[in-house]
Amino acid sequence: MSEKETSPAILQFAPLNSSVDEGFWHSFSSLKLDKLGIDDSPISITGFYGPCSHPQVSNHLTLLSESLPLDEQSSIASTSHGNRNKCPVPGILYNTNTLESFHKLDKQSLLKAEANKIWDDIQSGKALEDPAVLSRFLVISFADLKKWSFRYWFAFPALVLDPPASLVDLKPASAYFSSEEAESVSAACNEWRHSDLTTDVPFFLVSVSSDSKTSIRHLKDWEACQGDHHKLLFGFYDPCHLPNNPGWPLRNYLALIRSRWNLETVWFFCYRESRGFADLNLSLVGQASVTLASGESAPTVPNSVGWELNKGKRVPRSISLANSMDPTRLAVSAVDLNLKLMRWRALPSLDLNVLSSVKCLLLGAGTLGCQVARTLMGWGIRNITFVDYGKVAMSNPVRQSLYTFEDCVGRGEFKAVAAVKSLKQIFPAMESSGVVMAIPMPGHPISSQEEDSILADCKRLSDLIESHDAVFLLTDTRESRWLPSLLCANANKIAINAALGFDSYMVMRHGAGPTSLSDDMQNLDMNKTNKQRLGCYFCNDVVAPQDSMTDRTLDQQCTVTRPGLAPIAGALAVELLVGVLQHPLGINAKGDNSSLSNGGNNDDSPLGILPHQIRGSVSQFSQITLLGQASNSCTACSETVISEYRERGNSFILEAINHPTYLEDLTGLTELKKAANSFNLDWEDDDTDDEDVAVDM
Amino acid sequence: MNSGREVIDGRLTVEGFSVAARAFADKWKTHNQSLPPWSWVPLINRTLLLSNQEEGYLSLENILILSSLEESTEDESLNVATECSEKEEPVDHTILVQNQENEAHYYDFHIVYSASYKVPVLYFRGYCSGGQPLSLDVIKKDLPSCSVSLLLQSKWTFITQEEHPYLNRPWFKLHPCGTEDWIKLLSQSSISAGCQMPVELYLVSWFSVVGQVVGLRIPLEMLN
Repeated sequence: MSEKETSPAILQFAPLNSSVDEGFWHSFSSLKLDKLGIDDSPISITGFYGPCSHPQVSNHLTLLSESLPLDEQSSIASTSHGNRNKCPVPGILYNTNTLESFHKLDKQSLLKAEANKIWDDIQSGKALEDPAVLSRFLVISFADLKKWSFRYWFAFPALVLDPPASLVDLKPASAYFSSEEAESVSAACNEWRHSDLTTDVPFFLVSVSSDSKTSIRHLKDWEACQGDHHKLLFGFYDPCHLPNNPGWPLRNYLALIRSRWNLETVWFFCYRESRGFADLNLSLVGQASVTLASGESAPTVPNSVGWELNKGKRVPRSISLANSMDPTRLAVSAVDLNLKLMRWRALPSLDLNVLSSVKCLLLGAGTLGCQVARTLMGWGIRNITFVDYGKVAMSNPVRQSLYTFEDCVGRGEFKAVAAVKSLKQIFPAMESSGVVMAIPMPGHPISSQEEDSILADCKRLSDLIESHDAVFLLTDTRESRWLPSLLCANANKIAINAALGFDSYMVMRHGAGPTSLSDDMQNLDMNKTNKQRLGCYFCNDVVAPQDSMTDRTLDQQCTVTRPGLAPIAGALAVELLVGVLQHPLGINAKGDNSSLSNGGNNDDSPLGILPHQIRGSVSQFSQITLLGQASNSCTACSETVISEYRERGNSFILEAINHPTYLEDLTGLTELKKAANSFNLDWEDDDTDDEDVAVDM
Repeated sequence: MNSGREVIDGRLTVEGFSVAARAFADKWKTHNQSLPPWSWVPLINRTLLLSNQEEGYLSLENILILSSLEESTEDESLNVATECSEKEEPVDHTILVQNQENEAHYYDFHIVYSASYKVPVLYFRGYCSGGQPLSLDVIKKDLPSCSVSLLLQSKWTFITQEEHPYLNRPWFKLHPCGTEDWIKLLSQSSISAGCQMPVELYLVSWFSVVGQVVGLRIPLEMLN
């Protein structure tokens, strides 16, 4: 071109962009998992696009569930045919089985292969019969079906004109046509768009006669249109919205026009819509100038371009759909939904975050431990650690709800291990671990060889208690509860204690530790402190925990209880914990009695009253709440004992384990008993018996 | 005469829903030109392999909301620098270099009949132009502020995420457990006038409440 006055600009096309509906990935995943397996041969797919429908946003080439070969599972009728906004376009999908092979795909040759198909369709005339093939596309992908993430890259092959086409003129269609012509063109377009037969044909001829009558014809009617017109334009659905650029489909359209009809000047019509009707302000009419191939006998395939950019960069796109496809995440959101519904419908002030973050330590994985774990899960508590040294015995599965027959076969699985496995099977998002360990107990003297390992267990127990927020004491003896009670009081951790008799149960929450109110000992008014503290399991005892297991008869050794008790007590223990967690004072909450309550909601907690102790029996089908203050002489939680423990540590523990009277001496219980014995009481001689103070449960 | 189409106690039958849905879609098309029309999607009866015209749902899709430029919702950890050392495409000057534009969010709405609650339920989802689904936090930013406050304060409306009954993937929905109650409140006025709420108006009344939560208003003329 040697003209200098107006050298026309190169025609610049707006790239086409892809949009992949989530449904496509869902359908593709099913296809891969159910049918294809590791077969990675290319798959024919269908893309959809339509003319631009919004002045500020371009349309995309979309992939939907229907894009894949027919899915028998769908219960929705396919709506792609005759759909005005979904012109079907053929495409091909290369999905690899590994990320490495995704990167190794020869993108240039894949692109070339598809471009060749377009060129062949142009040469053979197929593009005239079915012009949608001009917009043929290619996708490469890697679907990671373990992580539910998808990496993909689209290419919209475009035949490159060499030299490039130049733009002589471009203006809104309303400026190009006279108003009469514009009306007629709009009407004709709307009719074309309205008919099921033509609405999904994206390339067409617009023929306007000298008396402003418009007819829209298929491309194959080109010959028939000659001579008939005043203006003849090559129309196409233009997804692009920009006022100064035509969209991508024009590229291959120009290649077709140049090749089939040898035109040097091409008038094109970028058809765009708004609100479902032709919009001639948004639509463009342009004039392009194309250089004809000169002196070539056989037309050669032009070069091709078309890999989609991702935010301007030559990298693939990716999407993670784990939230909607990963079954574990789906289970998590279903469970969360359930709790949120409870809050929404019944307890608006329920704090669900504290529940999902609390860490619970369960000492004992037997009848009580299993029931407590299950109820904790129901409340959305996810973090549970089991401590138990036993194995699942044949008699266990019927009463211990986390175990099955499989767990006892052979040598039997460790309960702590089997319980963790069971929790994960119930809800995969549980964070649970098991510790196989025995709890050191006073009254069971140990030899000097065992000392080290016993002290190691004490340390381990202490560390476990430190690293959790709430501790459940669910073992089957009294003395095994002593050390945990002491450690919880020392660390000021919430302790919930549940114990079973043959037909009765006791569930209680321990009070706060003795130094809880102020650790820097400024609050020296110990009496006041103790009055505000609720008692622990041992506060009412006048004897230190002793060996309760040796020399018992067989029926006394096995904890025989009515089966209904463990579920009741376990459930109450969890409800008590949740009450503490929801209470603004937490572990320091004072104890309520049901007899003193307002009979309705307690203002402090949305859940109702928060008792200290609950005792019930199934022989009477009765239940009462009790309140007990901390005792200054308690062998587990009194100030005396705790400070002794803090000062002397291991030697204190060893002494308590080996010499049970040590604790009684230390706490002054020995003195108390001597005083009681020397006190001469004048008992009345009647048959009423005072109830025993010592609780042997 | 019990045609199975009456509104009883705020609830609808399947046939009633079908009638109400078409009436609603027609009124919408006439009075609400600013938005595209609802279309009825019939469900295929798998055993008979027929479209069962009686059962289906209403669909309104690709509603566009433009929002200001945001952080990419793509999973950044998946962005690997690919080896572009392979032979690059020749630089093609005919390709327009595009600037980052405003992010477009698209919304789909479905009105589906719930057989267990016997009321309609609004399902919706949002996604960006590339197809990535939008989280509820992002969607809430697109809602008009009065909708957001309605959501927070009203005891009738509650958004949950559950599996779409026919599409087998999670959509957001307005939980239907309060619907029956507030429909009864709405129909008090017609009851006191001596007549039942006609089934054709059910969805219009229902949507007049529900639509506000998702920022879709209906013109008053539709309520006549």
